[in-house]
Amino acid sequence: MINIALKASKWAGIDSTDSRYDPLPKAGRIPGNGPVWVGIYAEMTEFALMFLIFFAAKVHYSDVFKEGPLQLNIYAGLLNTLALLTSSYFVAKAVGCVRMNQINKAIYWLCGTIAAAVFYLLVKAWEYQWNAEQGLEVNSSMFFTVYYYMTFNHFLHVAWGGGAILWAIFRLKRGGYTPQSHEGLEAIACYWHMIDLVWIIIFPLLYVLR
Amino acid sequence: MASMTHYKKQDFVWLALMAMTLGSALIAESAEPSVLVVIAIAGTVMVKGRLVINRFMELHNVHAYVRFSMNLYFYVLPLLIIMTYLFPEFIAELTRLS
Repeated sequence: MINIALKASKWAGIDSTDSRYDPLPKAGRIPGNGPVWVGIYAEMTEFALMFLIFFAAKVHYSDVFKEGPLQLNIYAGLLNTLALLTSSYFVAKAVGCVRMNQINKAIYWLCGTIAAAVFYLLVKAWEYQWNAEQGLEVNSSMFFTVYYYMTFNHFLHVAWGGGAILWAIFRLKRGGYTPQSHEGLEAIACYWHMIDLVWIIIFPLLYVLR
Repeated sequence: MASMTHYKKQDFVWLALMAMTLGSALIAESAEPSVLVVIAIAGTVMVKGRLVINRFMELHNVHAYVRFSMNLYFYVLPLLIIMTYLFPEFIAELTRLS
């Protein structure tokens, strides 16, 4: 696996020695732009409130919160986690490629992100269907009310975050991002990483802690 | 070369994230719930979050306040995971409406 990752890096031209471009983010500079960081902090606050509600509900309805995760399909949660973490890695690679002026390769990495996002959405849709077949619905218990509220909210974020990634691909194809100017791509990348960060917490809360 | 190191670290971070996720799933499937298991899972959440923030978002080099505010999320929530497991009655009392 390590070799695959290193070969992928080499293929992406990440180890280019081209001195015309600064291959690293400038020290001290916050990636992206101000508005996206307002959005990121707002979204993370929204999800933090959901997590607080989860913890409060868990201590008040301890029996259903012990049984709830056992009724879920952990493989769906696991596949979604692997897909989102991988998509985040692909986005980080794409930003690196743009800094190296490897625009086509950046587009390929972002297409990989879209593939991972679509995979996530399909797995989640299948999971909801699987839940319904087991008789697990929003009103089944307090655990499932919180589960559906949290995961469907996150599902929507992945869907519109995927739209932002498609916009980044469109801009890259039109020459909208260059090694010298790619703040918009960094902003979209940071937003995507935020979506991944939220799932890093959702996965253990809903699927792992039993 | 600094850029090679920077981007190769992202490869290793991705592998570490994959491994930790699979490890968490394995724990969920096999281990009996205990304080150690909960601490291990909370620790994994903290490490995964910090890796994404510092290496994928590339905040490891930015102003300390920004980095701290993002990392704080992954200190507080793992702590809440542990506290909810250890002191459920106390938290229930704190969050009771009447």
